[in-house]
Amino acid sequence: MTISEEVAITEERADLLSRLGLDVQNDATIGRVLSTGSIAEATERADGTMEATIRIKEDEYCWDPAILVLPHGGDLELTIINDDKNTHACLLPNNGGPKFLGLLNHSKGKANITLDGPGYYWYSSPAGNDEGRGLTAAIVVGGEVPPEARLDRPKQPRPSKSIVKEIVKE
Amino acid sequence: MTLEYVDAGEAIDHVALSAVGGAAPVTDNVDYERILNARSESKNWLTYYGDYDGQRYSLLDQINTENVSKLSPAWIFQAGQAGHIAGGSTYSFEACPLIVDGVMYVTGWDGWFWAIDAATGTELWRYKHAIPFDVSLCCSNVNRGCAVAHGKAYFVTANAQLLALDATNGKKVWQKTIGDVRAGESASLAPLVIKDTIITGSAGGEFGVRGHIDCWDLETGDHRWRTYTVPKPGEPGSETWPADGEAWQRGGANHWVTGTYDPELNLYYAGTGNPAPDFDGAVREGDNLYTDSVVALDVDSGEIKWHYQFTPHDLWDYDSTMEMTLFERDGKKLLGHFDKNGYFFVLDRTNGELQHVTPFVDRIDWGVITRDGKVTPRKYPDKEGEPVHFFPGPAGAKEWTHAAYSQKTELFYVPVADVGATATRRRREFKEGMPYWGAAVQVDIDDMNGSVSAFDTYGEEKWRYRIDYPMAASILATAGDLVFAGTPTGEFLALDSRTGEKLWEFQCGSGHHSSCSTYSIDGKQYVVVPVGWGGWLEGIVPGMSANGHGSALIAFALPG
Repeated sequence: MTISEEVAITEERADLLSRLGLDVQNDATIGRVLSTGSIAEATERADGTMEATIRIKEDEYCWDPAILVLPHGGDLELTIINDDKNTHACLLPNNGGPKFLGLLNHSKGKANITLDGPGYYWYSSPAGNDEGRGLTAAIVVGGEVPPEARLDRPKQPRPSKSIVKEIVKE
Repeated sequence: MTLEYVDAGEAIDHVALSAVGGAAPVTDNVDYERILNARSESKNWLTYYGDYDGQRYSLLDQINTENVSKLSPAWIFQAGQAGHIAGGSTYSFEACPLIVDGVMYVTGWDGWFWAIDAATGTELWRYKHAIPFDVSLCCSNVNRGCAVAHGKAYFVTANAQLLALDATNGKKVWQKTIGDVRAGESASLAPLVIKDTIITGSAGGEFGVRGHIDCWDLETGDHRWRTYTVPKPGEPGSETWPADGEAWQRGGANHWVTGTYDPELNLYYAGTGNPAPDFDGAVREGDNLYTDSVVALDVDSGEIKWHYQFTPHDLWDYDSTMEMTLFERDGKKLLGHFDKNGYFFVLDRTNGELQHVTPFVDRIDWGVITRDGKVTPRKYPDKEGEPVHFFPGPAGAKEWTHAAYSQKTELFYVPVADVGATATRRRREFKEGMPYWGAAVQVDIDDMNGSVSAFDTYGEEKWRYRIDYPMAASILATAGDLVFAGTPTGEFLALDSRTGEKLWEFQCGSGHHSSCSTYSIDGKQYVVVPVGWGGWLEGIVPGMSANGHGSALIAFALPG
């Protein structure tokens, strides 16, 4: 049996999330669906260390950005802010072992972590049911592995972007 | 307006919020000489198979046929799992714990490494490598173990990294990238220390990568050599691939299980995996060397000295990565190998010359291999869209889990799986990082058996201990005339190595899919088994894939 499916996405992502009640606590969902928040890129200093700020906004229970994109693997210096009127925490992936930061109401701290690339990682607030309510977010590491680790073979084809996405872009 | 925040400080190591002290005793130096003679100090389990020969045989005999009925748990280490991990439904222990002078070193899924007090089960230190959630895993979130030498502990990670840790505290000493995760490569084997080097292999045959074996400097991590297990055009073996095609570039042949080593011959015996695409042979006409083979490598240069291919032009996913057990018979240096394809091969390990072939599972219908090694395929996916059922299925008559060989009984003890599968050829174009099977595959869920079976070195079956499910864990043989084996339903068994009679069992609460080992401390012998049902269950035992998870190390000893 062949199943045909046609999906037309005509709204901007933020509008669609809002219309469906997916951009706020206790509307369509009780909490927030993973990665329905904002997207941001880390900046890179001259020495290659990357830096970014992640925060929890009041009553949103969603890391902002929900997806943080790094250009490559390496060291990341994070500023972590809790703007909420509740206590949360932050448990971050890190080579060697996860890093933990307690976040009292309206607090601010730092974390230094090291990640390989490419690939993506989840992090969370391991407190109460923060993860289920939405406090789980992604760090995406782009780039390629070092040249010496690549296979000795001609460049290979990779999956291309779908036609639907191309039409929406246009 | 300036906002004044409460100072949350700097993030701390999560392990600081635990009782883990972060330090292990400094043990006597493990050097090449000690590993060469590993069996002679059976109080330790110094290297992956217990010794370079791959026999998984210990000289310890305190626990024996007379007293094994009194065996009981000495301690339990619970690992657990929280948060999102790659392949969360498949994570499992697949490791063989190493024990060095009272310290146990064991790896887990998702980048975990623990050092444990082997007498008490107390966690001494832990290392957790961050593993990307989206890393390509073939075929589950597992790791088979580590190596220990010169004060360092070595292991690979699912995102194809090789790490050297300080064995006293778990801190990273160096790290090397050993594969390309964008190409679908990963790593899961226990690395092997030989001389002043450490040997690794790659995983990812289901993603159409080109398999390779690498050698690294033990101290610095500098790269010594890489040997590809699929030749380029013009290299020896390239005539077994289409001359004008791209098939060799995606040919598979990954070395994802630790090899064995003969120091006198200076040869490393590496098993290689399936060709890619697994089931669509029309795009890769020929024998497809060195897939499904043993390659004997000169450990100093990586040069392939000889090879033997167990399943030429594989169409059933019959990897040959499993152990190449080294043994002697009538003064002859031999190598025994129980292959996924259902046959037991014995080779002259000096030159790869076949001695004999015998079947070791009841149901084999994919083809026939005669005693002198002639292969005749009979049932295989050939026509697009046409289902073909065959025995054994793609997990084989024995998956990666290891047989044992007792020097005392001169018998092999084999974890046998008897389950078939249906493959329907579905051609697809190759795209880097995407699964590249060339078929739809379903393993049988309602017709399966398994056993621990004993064979002499000529392949004659001597006894069989039957279970209702395919065996999916490694066997351990000891000089106490015992064979230890864990079942998918959770029982840890001790069998009489001469008769197969069950002498003891303990229900561990979850299925077994790892390699147990044995050791002694202050004159007391222990048997330790990693427990936890997981791994590539849709291939190995899909009819058991909904069984409960688990992730514990359980050590057993006699009372007193």
